Amino acid sequence: MNFLYPITHSPKGRIQSRLLSLAALFMLCFSLALTLAPAVRMRSWDVALRWWHWLGFFVWLFGFSLIHRQLRNLLPEHDPYILPIAAFISGWGLLTIYRLSTNFGLRQTLWLAFSLFILWKGLKSPGIIELFKKYKYVLLISGLILTAATFIFGTYPGGAGPRLWLGCCSIYFQPSELLKLLLIIYLAAYLASRLPFYPSLLQILTPTLILVGAALIILLAQRDLGTASIFILLYFVIIYLVTSKRRILLTSLLTLTATALLGYVSFAIIRYRVESWLNPWIDPSGRSYQIIQSLLAVAAGGTFGRGPGLGSPGLVPVAQSDFIFAAIAEETGLTGTIALVAMLALLTGRGLHIALHASNSYHRYLAIGITTYFAGQSILIIGGNLRLLPLTGVTFPFVSYGGSSLLISFIAVMILLWVSDSEDEPAPLRSVSPYILVGGAFLAGFAAIAITNGYWAFLRNSDLLTRTDNPRRSISDRYIYRGALLDRNNQIITSTQGKPGAYTRSLLYPPLSPVVGYTNPTYGQAGLEASLDPYLRGQQGHPAFEYWRSHVLYGLPPSGLDIRLTIDLRLQKIADELLNGKTGAAILMNAQSGEILVMVSHPFFDSNTLSENWEAWTNDPDAPLLNRTTQAQYPPGTAITPFLAAEALTNTSIPQPPINPSVFTNGKYWHCAQEVPDNASWAELLSSGCPGATQKLSKTLSSAQLIDLFHRLGFDQTPTLQLAQAQPLQLPETLSANDILSSNPPVRITPLQMAIAASTLSHKGVRSAPIITLAVHTPHQGWVFLPGEAPQKALPNEVIPQVTELITIPQTLLWQVHANAYQDEEVFTWYLAGTTPAWQGTPLVLVILLEENNPSEAERIGRQILESAFQ
Amino acid sequence: MSEILVLALRALLAISLYAFLGVALYTIWQSLRASGFQILSHKPPTIALSIEDSLAITQEFSISEVTIGRDPNCEFTIQDETVSAHHARLRFHHNHWWLEDLNSTNGSFLNNERVEVPTIIMTGDEIQIGKAIITVHITES
Repeated sequence: MNFLYPITHSPKGRIQSRLLSLAALFMLCFSLALTLAPAVRMRSWDVALRWWHWLGFFVWLFGFSLIHRQLRNLLPEHDPYILPIAAFISGWGLLTIYRLSTNFGLRQTLWLAFSLFILWKGLKSPGIIELFKKYKYVLLISGLILTAATFIFGTYPGGAGPRLWLGCCSIYFQPSELLKLLLIIYLAAYLASRLPFYPSLLQILTPTLILVGAALIILLAQRDLGTASIFILLYFVIIYLVTSKRRILLTSLLTLTATALLGYVSFAIIRYRVESWLNPWIDPSGRSYQIIQSLLAVAAGGTFGRGPGLGSPGLVPVAQSDFIFAAIAEETGLTGTIALVAMLALLTGRGLHIALHASNSYHRYLAIGITTYFAGQSILIIGGNLRLLPLTGVTFPFVSYGGSSLLISFIAVMILLWVSDSEDEPAPLRSVSPYILVGGAFLAGFAAIAITNGYWAFLRNSDLLTRTDNPRRSISDRYIYRGALLDRNNQIITSTQGKPGAYTRSLLYPPLSPVVGYTNPTYGQAGLEASLDPYLRGQQGHPAFEYWRSHVLYGLPPSGLDIRLTIDLRLQKIADELLNGKTGAAILMNAQSGEILVMVSHPFFDSNTLSENWEAWTNDPDAPLLNRTTQAQYPPGTAITPFLAAEALTNTSIPQPPINPSVFTNGKYWHCAQEVPDNASWAELLSSGCPGATQKLSKTLSSAQLIDLFHRLGFDQTPTLQLAQAQPLQLPETLSANDILSSNPPVRITPLQMAIAASTLSHKGVRSAPIITLAVHTPHQGWVFLPGEAPQKALPNEVIPQVTELITIPQTLLWQVHANAYQDEEVFTWYLAGTTPAWQGTPLVLVILLEENNPSEAERIGRQILESAFQ
Repeated sequence: MSEILVLALRALLAISLYAFLGVALYTIWQSLRASGFQILSHKPPTIALSIEDSLAITQEFSISEVTIGRDPNCEFTIQDETVSAHHARLRFHHNHWWLEDLNSTNGSFLNNERVEVPTIIMTGDEIQIGKAIITVHITES
C-alpha cells in the first residue's frame, strides 16, 4: 500500500499512511465480499455477481491517495487521524449505499469524487480560512438567503417529500447543510474578534442571537427539525466552550426543553415522532414502521452480522440516508457498529485535541464547532435508529447518502486539517473544564449508543427476530428449502418447489388446509405449518454444529426437515368426498396410540389461493378458515349417554329403562336421534341417542360424580396436539340432568375431545393422547419418531364390554351411537363409532359431527369411512 | 466454496477494522507517553544573575519565573531605594528567557534600552534595575 499512501520521515506521516492502508484493506475485503455475496445467497456460482461498487472503490482508493500526498507536501504538521477516519467511514458508507442501490451508489461516487477534488484544491490555499473570517456576515447571510430560497425554488429530488433542496437536472443541493458550516464559521469569527474585551455577555451575544434566531425560524418554517436541533446544539456548545460559563449550560438546557415542548405542542410531526419513539409497539405497521424495521435490522445483525450483501437492510425505509446505521448494523453486526462508534468517538477526541492546541481563538472555535457538528449529528441520527432518541432527520456525516452532507463534511475536515497544522504554542485558555465536560458528554453519548446497540442486537435479538412482522422470515423462506409434510405412507401432502431464491410452497391436497394451515408472507402462519415451523424451517432437529455452520456461512438456518404425519391420505380423501357439501367435521383415530388417521373440517379453504380469497373467507359465515375438529365447540347432547351408562354400571347397576324415550325441555320435545319402538331396551335407547336415557342415567349420578366423569373424559382439558385449539370450558360447580339437556348446556366440547372420550370405549377405558406427527426426517439419524403423551385411565376396564355390548351393531365387531344436541335454535348431529373390545386388530374410533339434524346421513358417512379403513 | 471465501473475507474485514482502531489508539497512547516524558524532562535552563558592585550578589535559578524587586518575597531581592517592590520579571517560555517590566517607578533597562514589552535576554546581557546592574548568564541544561 506504500505506493498508494507513501510514508514520510515524520512519525505523523507514518501513522496516516498505516491507517489509510488498513482502511484500504477493509474496503478491499468489503468490496470482494459484496461481489461474491449473490453466489453465497444462491449457493451456486451460476449467478450474476455484483460489480458496480468497484467503481466507487477505485475512486475512493485513488482519491484518498491524492489527498494523502497533498497533505504530506502542504501541511506537514496536520493531525494524522482525521483523514484516515473520514476516509474509513465515508468508504464504508459508500459501499453500503452501493449494496442498497447501485444507482444511489453511483451518484454518491460522483459526489465523493467532487468532494475530494474540492479538498485537494482547497488544501493548497489555507488562507481561505482568514477570508472566511473577514466575510463572516456575507457568508452567513447568503447561506440564510439560499436556505430561504427553498421556500420558492425548493424541490425534493426523490419526487414527493419535504422541499429542502435546490437544483435541477439531477444535481441537487441542500442549503441547510451548508448553513450549519456557515454558522460555525460565523460564530467562531465573531466570538474570536469580540471576546477578549467584552463588557457584558448579553451585549456580545445579541447579534448572534438575532442571526441564529433568523436561521431557526427559517428551518422551523420548513419543518427541518433535525437541522434546527443541530443548530441549537451547535450554538450552545460553542458559546459554553468559549465563555466557560455554567449558566450557559443551564440556559441551553432550559431552551432545549422549552423548544421541545413548544415543538411538541405546535407540530404534528414532532408529536408523531415522539409518540412512535415512546410507544413503538402499539402501531408497528403504521407510524412506528420505520423504527421497528430499523430495530429488526439491528437484531438481525446480531453479534457478527449477516455479512456484506447477505442481509436484507433494504427492508428498512430510506435505508440509504436516515437508516444507514441500521443497514450497517444488519450486515456487520455489533462487531462492526461498535468499531464504527469507536471511530466516531476517536474523531471527536481528535477534534477537541485540535481545538485545545489551536494557535488562536478563531481556529480553536472553528475546531470546536466542527467537532460538535460531527459528534452531535452522529449521536442524533444513530440514537434515532436505535430508539435511544426520537427520530430527527439529520444526515450521518460521511456515511449517509447525500451530496450536500458529504461535501460539507469534507470541507469541515479541510478546516480541521488546516487548524491542526500549526507548530505554534496553543493560544491561552480560560478554563479547561468545559472541554472536559463537553468531551465527556459526547463520549457518554457514544457509550449509550454502544450499549443500546448491544441491547437490541444481543439481549432482545431472539424476541425481535421471531416477530411475525419481521419480513426476514419470509425472505429466508425463499432461500431455504422448507421441509415437506408427508402422510403416513410417505405420500406428499405439502411441499416446497423451485430453486433457492424462488422457493414456493404448495399444498397438494387442498381439503387438508384447515389442518395443515399455511405459511404466508402476508397472512403469517397457521395450522401445522405454524406449530411444526421450527422443524420445517430447520431451526430444530439438526445437530448444533450444522446449525451453527449454516448461520456463520449463510446467516440462515440449514435446510428444513420433512415430517411424516399420522394422516392416511387415502382415507382422508374418502372422508372428504363423503362430507362434501356438508358443514361439519370428522375424525378417525387409532384408539390405542391416538394417531389421527383422518381429520376433516368442512367447508374448507385452499391455502394455495390465500391472497385471492382471504377477504371472502374471513367474512364467510361458514368460517372455512376454522378447523372445526379442534377449534369449534359443540354441546355433546345425547352422545354422552354411553359414558353415563359406564359410570352408572361402575357405581351400582343400570336402572330400568325410562318409559318415555323423549324429553320435554325448553318448551318442546327432544326426540331420539333415531326412532325407537315402544318400551325400547337400553341397547336401543343408547345407540339411538334418546334424551330420556340421558336424563334417567344422569339422575343416578350426583352432581360431583357427573363433574368427575366429565373431567376424566377430558372435557375440561386441552388435548396435547400441535394444532390451534379452542380454550376448553371450565366445568360448572354443580351439574344436573337438566343442565345437560338445557338449551344452553354448560359443557361444550370439540369433535377431537369427543373422539378422545370415545376412545375409552374401544380401548379398555383408557383415554388416548392424540398425535398427528409421526416422525421427522433428520439428516444423520434418518426418521426419528416423535413421542406422544401417555394415555390416561378414564373408565374402569370391566364395564367397557358391558357398555359396548349394548351399542354393538349386530353381527359386527363395531359399536355405534347416534346422537343429537341443541344449543339455542341450532341442532347438531353426532355419530360415534368404534371397534368393540373383541376386535383383535388396531382399535379404531370415529366421530362425525354435522351442523344439521341428519343422523342417518352421519351414519352413512361414518360406516363408509370405517369400511374403507378396514379394507 | 463462495461461502468459505466470503467468511474469510469477513474475518479479514473485522481484523482490518480493529487493527485500524488498535493502531490509532496505540499511536495516540505512544504520543501521549512521549509528550509526558518531554514535559517531565522539560526544565528551563539555569539562569544566573549577578550584581558586580558593592553588594556582589550572584544567584542561580532553575525555575521558570523569577521576580526581581525590593520586596523580600521576590526570588531575587535587591535592597536599594531605586528598586520598586516588584520591579521586573524574568520568565521562560517559547524556549527563551524573557524580561518584563512590572510597571516599576524607575523602569527596567536591557543593555541601556528601556524595556517596554517583554524582551528576550541572552548570556552576557546587562539588565539595569534602578541603580543595580545585573549580568545574566544562562546555562543550557
